[in-house]
Amino acid sequence: MDLAVKLIVFLPLLAAAIAGLFCRVIGDRPAQFVTCAALLAAAVLSCWVFVRIGFGPADQKLVVVKLSTWIGSGTLDVDWALRIDTLTAVMLVVVTVVSSMVHVYSVGYMAEDASIPRFMAYLSLFTFFMLMLVTSDNLVQMFFGWEGVGLASYLLIGFWFDKPSANAAAIKAFLVNRVGDFGFALGIFAVWMLTGSVSFNEIFAKAGDFAKMNIQFLGMELNALTTCCLLLFVGAMGKSAQLGLHTWLPDAMEGPTPVSALIHAATMVTAGVFMVARLSPLFELSQTALAVVTLVGAATAFFAATVGLTQFDIKRVIAYSTCSQLGYMFFACGVGAYSAAMFHLMTHAFFKALLFLGAGSVIHCLHHEQDMRAMGGVREKAPQTFALMWVGTLALAGIGVPVILGHGLGFAGFYSKDIILEAAFGAHSTVGFVAFWLGILGAFMTAFYSARLMFMTFYGKYRGDHHTWDHAHESPPSMLIPLYVLGLGAVFAGIVAYNWFVGDSWQAFWGKSIAIASTKEILHHAHEVPLWVKVLPLVMALSGIALSYLYYVKSPDLPARTIAAFPSLHRFFFNKWFFDELYDRLFVRPSLALGKALWKKGDVAIIDGVGPDGIAAGTQGFSSVLSRFQSGYLYHYAFAMLVGVAGLVTYFLLAKG
Amino acid sequence: MELQALAFYVFAAITVVSAAMVVGSRNPVYSVLYLILAFFNAAALFLLLGAEFIAMILVIVYVGAVAVLFLFVVMMLDINLTELKQGFLRYLPVGATIGVVLLLEILFALGVLGASKGTVAELAAKGVPVSSVENTRALGRVLYTQYFYLFQAAGLVLLVAMIGAIVLTLRQRPGVRRQNVGDQLYRRRDKAVTVVKVPTRGGVR
Amino acid sequence: MATGIDSWTLARPEIFLAAATCLLLIWGVVRGERSVNLVSGATALALVATAALLFLPFREGTAFASLFVVDRLTATMKALVLVSSAVALLMSRAYFEKVGAWRFEYPILLALAALGMMLMISANDLMSVYVGLELQSLALYVVASFQRDDARSTEAGVKYFVLGSVASGLLLFGASLIYGYCGSTQFARISQALLEGRAAELGVVVGLVFFVTGLAFKVSAVPFHMWTPDVYEGAPTPVTALFAAAPKVAAISLLVSVLMGPFKPLFAQWQQILVAAAVLSMLLGAVAAIRQTNIKRLMAYSSIGNVGYILLGLASGTEKGVQGVVFFLAIYVVMSLGVFAVILTMQRQGKMVEEIADLAGLARTRPMIAFAMLLFMFSLAGIPPLAGFWGKLYIFMAAIEAKLVIPAVLGVLCSVVASYYYLRIVKVMYIDEPGVALDRTPIGVNAIVAGVGAAVVALFSLLPQPLGTAAAAAAKGLFP
Repeated sequence: MDLAVKLIVFLPLLAAAIAGLFCRVIGDRPAQFVTCAALLAAAVLSCWVFVRIGFGPADQKLVVVKLSTWIGSGTLDVDWALRIDTLTAVMLVVVTVVSSMVHVYSVGYMAEDASIPRFMAYLSLFTFFMLMLVTSDNLVQMFFGWEGVGLASYLLIGFWFDKPSANAAAIKAFLVNRVGDFGFALGIFAVWMLTGSVSFNEIFAKAGDFAKMNIQFLGMELNALTTCCLLLFVGAMGKSAQLGLHTWLPDAMEGPTPVSALIHAATMVTAGVFMVARLSPLFELSQTALAVVTLVGAATAFFAATVGLTQFDIKRVIAYSTCSQLGYMFFACGVGAYSAAMFHLMTHAFFKALLFLGAGSVIHCLHHEQDMRAMGGVREKAPQTFALMWVGTLALAGIGVPVILGHGLGFAGFYSKDIILEAAFGAHSTVGFVAFWLGILGAFMTAFYSARLMFMTFYGKYRGDHHTWDHAHESPPSMLIPLYVLGLGAVFAGIVAYNWFVGDSWQAFWGKSIAIASTKEILHHAHEVPLWVKVLPLVMALSGIALSYLYYVKSPDLPARTIAAFPSLHRFFFNKWFFDELYDRLFVRPSLALGKALWKKGDVAIIDGVGPDGIAAGTQGFSSVLSRFQSGYLYHYAFAMLVGVAGLVTYFLLAKG
Repeated sequence: MELQALAFYVFAAITVVSAAMVVGSRNPVYSVLYLILAFFNAAALFLLLGAEFIAMILVIVYVGAVAVLFLFVVMMLDINLTELKQGFLRYLPVGATIGVVLLLEILFALGVLGASKGTVAELAAKGVPVSSVENTRALGRVLYTQYFYLFQAAGLVLLVAMIGAIVLTLRQRPGVRRQNVGDQLYRRRDKAVTVVKVPTRGGVR
Repeated sequence: MATGIDSWTLARPEIFLAAATCLLLIWGVVRGERSVNLVSGATALALVATAALLFLPFREGTAFASLFVVDRLTATMKALVLVSSAVALLMSRAYFEKVGAWRFEYPILLALAALGMMLMISANDLMSVYVGLELQSLALYVVASFQRDDARSTEAGVKYFVLGSVASGLLLFGASLIYGYCGSTQFARISQALLEGRAAELGVVVGLVFFVTGLAFKVSAVPFHMWTPDVYEGAPTPVTALFAAAPKVAAISLLVSVLMGPFKPLFAQWQQILVAAAVLSMLLGAVAAIRQTNIKRLMAYSSIGNVGYILLGLASGTEKGVQGVVFFLAIYVVMSLGVFAVILTMQRQGKMVEEIADLAGLARTRPMIAFAMLLFMFSLAGIPPLAGFWGKLYIFMAAIEAKLVIPAVLGVLCSVVASYYYLRIVKVMYIDEPGVALDRTPIGVNAIVAGVGAAVVALFSLLPQPLGTAAAAAAKGLFP
């Protein structure tokens, strides 16, 4: 078991090192082979570990593998340790399976790229950091993985570093994440200050004692634990692109599509959800923090869906959809349904990766065309991709028949999304109510824009240039096989896993890895909701698809007329609620101005002027003065000596007399 | 005693004045002559102190050799007086100030001016041991015994001076005829003259 | 001690050197200019042999009616003087041959100067101080103007001579005051008189001021340094190399033995003089050098600055301070001889050059020489872990222990400023584009000296301990 865990985590690192450091020696093929093999092996091992942990006896649901001591300084003890419980095991499967599929897919997708080994190395490196994150036993190690995935994300978004837009996007992603990471770091400090530990076990054991403690900050009386949780949540918001810190995610689509699938859909962006679930015993103690999580999640779910309605870039549509789905997961956490959030995380990873890779397949087919206005009718050229994309879309829209066969029958997203909405309704709280209705609206819009994506891309007539059309082709098997694997996940993950994640045997499955008390209550309520609550999401999804069909297949002039009817609303959505512009005005420009002022006035004029440059100039001037004394005349020199003697004698006379 | 004091003040005054004139005089030849005057008076001061050997050495070496040599050098060099004197007045105030300050300070330190313990007068009252032997004999006794080391070292100093003088001035110019005593002594008849039988009416070929 | 056989044994190295020099002088006079290479080689050999005689066997004591003293410190300093003089002599040939002034008097004068320095170091009486000082000065005045057809060399000689005479006058005046107050010229008696109460008298302090001033001139401490840049620049480069090394050692050694010996009771007074001179020297050495373009002139300011550090170490007045001084001096001598050896290898189209700009691109044309120079410059700048850093470390530590915190801090700051011009040379060598490349002269004595110097610096950098131990042993004698 220990060995398997170590292999899972370090095989990707080893593969990254081999591919990255020796890429010039070994070439493209071996680099692809090494990384794919390592990841597939890790995926197989992960499944084994998942089975052992998830379905093992209750006393074997937690394994901690200590690697070494990292920091031992005073009362601060930080270990390198791998903590495996059900929560981690789920993440291990999700990460390694999706990552290995993306690795295989990349072999085909990146075939014509100049630096394949570098790409494969980055992907594997990312996987390693992600695994470090999910297996962490303490907050500091989690932060290590957290920053590591941030780094890998930066490197991969800016993979095509000769594209200015890719560089800008990479920097933007990095900077926005810094805001979140700063919150996370502060949260870690606060937790350590409160509990004197960063290890999860100890934090959870002691957290209850501090639930009612207050701290003073700038004259405000704050609940200590709420402050900790909110700070940590800021970190989660940054990584998971929640409303306010979401602006980097759409831009991150500048990276290669496999990257978008792996990092910006399936794994890294879900790290925030994972973190909240991992720290659920902590969040559990602060109702305020949970309410904030719920509201932020619900708002994001709604906001991102509205923006997704109007975008034309195929990847951006999916990106906003990801953003929106992450919002669902957060509000599930917020109402206490952590297992539901993790359930959705898992199913979402499959169908969203499928959608992204499918979109990549389309892009590959059309020679890197990403604008849906220049697509249409692609199903003729890429029928398999078309079919698989439908699977993903239906899963995302949450299509399925509720109630029958006990829990209903449908695609993966159907189960997980419905249980989230039911949980929100079952929470019987104001925030839960708000979240429920925003979620319902979001579900409608999700169905609309995902169907819109399908219709605009695959139906109708081709709207791009004919040269591209003539060369369009179905993707190679290396790209299609991952799609099929993920397609299987998108179809069956819900049916298979429902019972363990949120069904009757959830408690046996999760063990103690998430907060039990509230989960128990909320799941109970979720299963008891009225029938209309169970049916409503399906109705919304179907009507969304139907409306989309009307708009984009039946009468294609409808969109333009709708836009003409609500021009300002459209502009608002199309411009992403003007977040970028707002941030530009609020932060970017003042920062630039401040930076420029500090640079020109503060640094150059004052610090350099008085400091180094001033002293240097002064020294040079002094030097010239001294050189002028060196006149070369003997009597000057002799005179200087006499002055020296006279000075010394005078000094002693004055000192003595 | 009064006579001695009077003589001291006279000689001292002349020494100081002529020393000032060495610097102040317009004509460099006069300067050297003033220097000689200063030397003579200094020698007289030594005599008053009972140091007759040093007095005589001063006259013989400084007046007889050094100053006369100076005189020759000064007379042979073409010195532009105006150029030399340029800046003299300019630097005089500041130079004189420093000089005077230094002088006053030293006088003060030695207790001549103002009140300070351990004055020169006090030291003089203690007295330098006066021996019955005269100067020259006393010097002769210690110079080759107690101060043998210094005597030898001073010899080396003179050697350096000699080498220095030669090395900086001696030049071997090609084409200059100079006397070589050795060659002259070793010159033999057969190298200097050849006896040639000159035929009558033939001339020397 | 008594005169007699003891004195001759104690002074055996000096006597040997004097005799050898006189013999070689006669040989040179008899054989004329043909003998120059032989005389110079033999002189170098004699210098080294004299250094060996110092320690084979090492004896200590006083001689010649207490005019002369030998102890561990003087022997160490003498060895330093003799070896550096020998090295400077070896470095000279190529230069003087090139300028056509390679004559046998040069090695003789160098040997006599070294002898004078030995007498200075061993002086145990104000009179021996003066005689020794004059012997070395006179010889050095002559070698400064040895390139007698060169106006700058002659000017350097004259300047050095006139100012040196002024300094000698000051020193003599001071000595006479001290004699007047203490009633003797012997160090031991002066010390005794001072301890008996003479130290309180103003006249003695004034005498000390004049006396120290005379010596300060010799070590070129500010404000008695004015001759240094002109003389360093004007004198023939090998002579400058000598000036930067041996006479400094001798004068510093004399300062140490005078101040730590007879004038120890006046510590409070001379400490102030030394601190003032040290601070001013460090400051001037650091600042004034920045504007220099001639590397010899630059080295003159560098030597002024380094003397400042040495005086600071001396001003601490502790055993540790003296140890630092000896340590620093030894390293400084190696570095400065090395730098001049590098300068002496610089030729362009058969002519010696000495501008800093001429060093441009040296790293490409002569990488080994440039690397040696880099080592010297880094070491002079005091960049750890090079030898120069250890030297400064010793000095500053001693100064701080003696509560001279502000001067020590100033010293560190000056060291930072000074590193600017040391590093500038490295920059010129390694980064600047060369104009007309320097000649690729065959590897001669100077290149070897530079290489050996670099090796020694590297050795002391890695293993400063043995030198530190030797310096400690030398310093110990002064603090019974």
